Amino acid sequence: MADRIIKVNAYTTFNLLDGEAEGHGWTEAALAVLNVTTDDGDVRLELELDNTDTDRVPAHAERATLSPEQARELAGELESYADRAERDE
Amino acid sequence: MPTDVERWKDEVYGNEIREHLFRFAEEGWDAIPDDEADAWFERFKWWGLYHQRKGQESYFMMRIGTPNGVLEPGQLRTVAEIADEYARGPVDNPEFGAAYCDWTTRQSIQLHWIKLEDVPEIFEKLEANDLSTQQACGDSWRNIVGCPVAGKDTHEHIDAWPVAEELHETFKGDDEYANLPRKWKVSVTGCDQGCGQGDINDLAFEPAEKHGELGFNVRIGGGLSRKEPRLARDVDIWVPEEKATDIAAATTELFNDHGDREDRYNARIKFLVDEWGAEKMRRVLQEDYTDWDLETAGEDLRDQYTYNAGGHEHGDHVGVHEQPDGNYYVGLNVLVGRMGVEATSELADLAEEYGSGEVRLTQRQNVIVTDIPEEDLDDFLAADLLDDYSPDPHPFMRGSIACTGTEFCSLSIVETKNRQVRYARWLKENVDVPAGVTDFHIHLSGCTASCAQPQIADVSLRGMKTRKDGEPVEALDIGLGGGLGENPHFAEWVEMRVPADEVPGYIQNLLDTYEAEREDEETFREFIQRHEEDALQELADPEETDYDDPYMHNTKMTWYPYAEDDDMGSSPAPTNGDGEPISADD
Repeated sequence: MADRIIKVNAYTTFNLLDGEAEGHGWTEAALAVLNVTTDDGDVRLELELDNTDTDRVPAHAERATLSPEQARELAGELESYADRAERDE
Repeated sequence: MPTDVERWKDEVYGNEIREHLFRFAEEGWDAIPDDEADAWFERFKWWGLYHQRKGQESYFMMRIGTPNGVLEPGQLRTVAEIADEYARGPVDNPEFGAAYCDWTTRQSIQLHWIKLEDVPEIFEKLEANDLSTQQACGDSWRNIVGCPVAGKDTHEHIDAWPVAEELHETFKGDDEYANLPRKWKVSVTGCDQGCGQGDINDLAFEPAEKHGELGFNVRIGGGLSRKEPRLARDVDIWVPEEKATDIAAATTELFNDHGDREDRYNARIKFLVDEWGAEKMRRVLQEDYTDWDLETAGEDLRDQYTYNAGGHEHGDHVGVHEQPDGNYYVGLNVLVGRMGVEATSELADLAEEYGSGEVRLTQRQNVIVTDIPEEDLDDFLAADLLDDYSPDPHPFMRGSIACTGTEFCSLSIVETKNRQVRYARWLKENVDVPAGVTDFHIHLSGCTASCAQPQIADVSLRGMKTRKDGEPVEALDIGLGGGLGENPHFAEWVEMRVPADEVPGYIQNLLDTYEAEREDEETFREFIQRHEEDALQELADPEETDYDDPYMHNTKMTWYPYAEDDDMGSSPAPTNGDGEPISADD
């Protein structure tokens, strides 16, 4: 098994989430790490599913870079979807 | 774009921090302005003070840097006295008591629960006894490590202690080297066993012979953390002993100039060596930083290295060993590197009574009493203290290293030291030791910072979380088969998120498989390395046993994992100089 890619310590945003990878005709579930950090003036979102639970994909982490403006937009969306999710319960 | 830390360092760093530190100590914790707190905490590190984590505000870890782990006669007693008076917190540790000393993987000393207000008194006492916390943490020359019995070792080819001492005298406290891009870890080895662990240091000196003369080969760019472990690279340089300081200065200056000050995660010299390669590193050193013709590497002794080598195990000097002068040193096993103050005092007593008073610390968190005359050995070995800190420990009680963990450290995800003590005890009670195994290296790190050097252990454990019975619980990623020696090798990571209470069962199953399937007399490390990556996962499964773990809950969310009421809201911190809670609305 390969080592983790994303470093994990007490400052990592989430170290225990339910994750899922989906391809054409397949899905795999795995526990996941999700972290928010900065990178040279941008905000970076990084996600890694435990490679011990994903056979279809090689060990890897995904990253997306957001501008501070986009990060705030995401924050807004997260808030409103959290409200919606609560109503759906 | 300079980082926050670089800006803070530009404003105030190095020796000048001291007067500010003392000013705050006099005015009290509350005097540190909230908006400057981060900057000051970063600066205090240069004086070896590390603010403890959330829930423990106003308390500091204090690191005392003892080069090569040498504690001269009297110094251990000083440390015990300081710990006794100043290193007491609001709650006792259930395993170790009210006050205790930690021996670290860089041969230094860590004390906890230190109050800012006591720092001037503590420094005075330390300095009166030639001890210091200077540059023990921070972006500078850290404690120099090496073979702990340098100068008293029948295996040494060159006495590395004068070299380590000179490096320490030269670079500590020198403003020119006070502000580097990042921490700077140096190792000097003179023995043929590899005890200095040069491979995992930024700058390593290893004994080597060139045209009939003994000196040092230089390696650059080792280090374990940030998920990017690297072994120090051979830069094809040999220096005679008298040039060790010069090449150290050259390499430090190169690091100072070329290390990345814009991204702290890219700042260690290991990344520069990645980028440039060993050849360019050598060229730049030769052209820009040295004024003599650098010799090419000499013949090294790596094929004789036994330290953490996985078989014919060196054993970290634990046990009775003869010194070249006919006296003996005795290495004592200290499980997870922590000793209560009473035990530390007793050790100081024994060292004074039977040895010269000198004690040395090892990179495996153990202690050594040196200079015991042969005729006094039996009496020394009969001392009660050695029941708990044995020169002949059970293989499972030996070889454990654990970092500080959620007890005090803000980076850690899981509890470490008390857990590893419990693991070792359970293994000793429940698992047969495979033939030929004299110690079994289990390194437990609370997170990926790797302070317990998890990548170079037989069984590497690293803090994580998982879900068990619907609840989040502390868990460990597991790696196997790491170590140093002639062919250093990092662990293969084989399991993720094993619930902490299933790890002993996993190790038991693993060792059963090893016993059943080992070929000839292959060592555990050889056994692991024989298997393909995929096969490693098949070797064993995690399993619940009668092992009981009291720290399964999220200890990083407590204010102190062993407090009866450990809820963050129940924390007494921050407290004033007398340990009394400071009211929030003052």
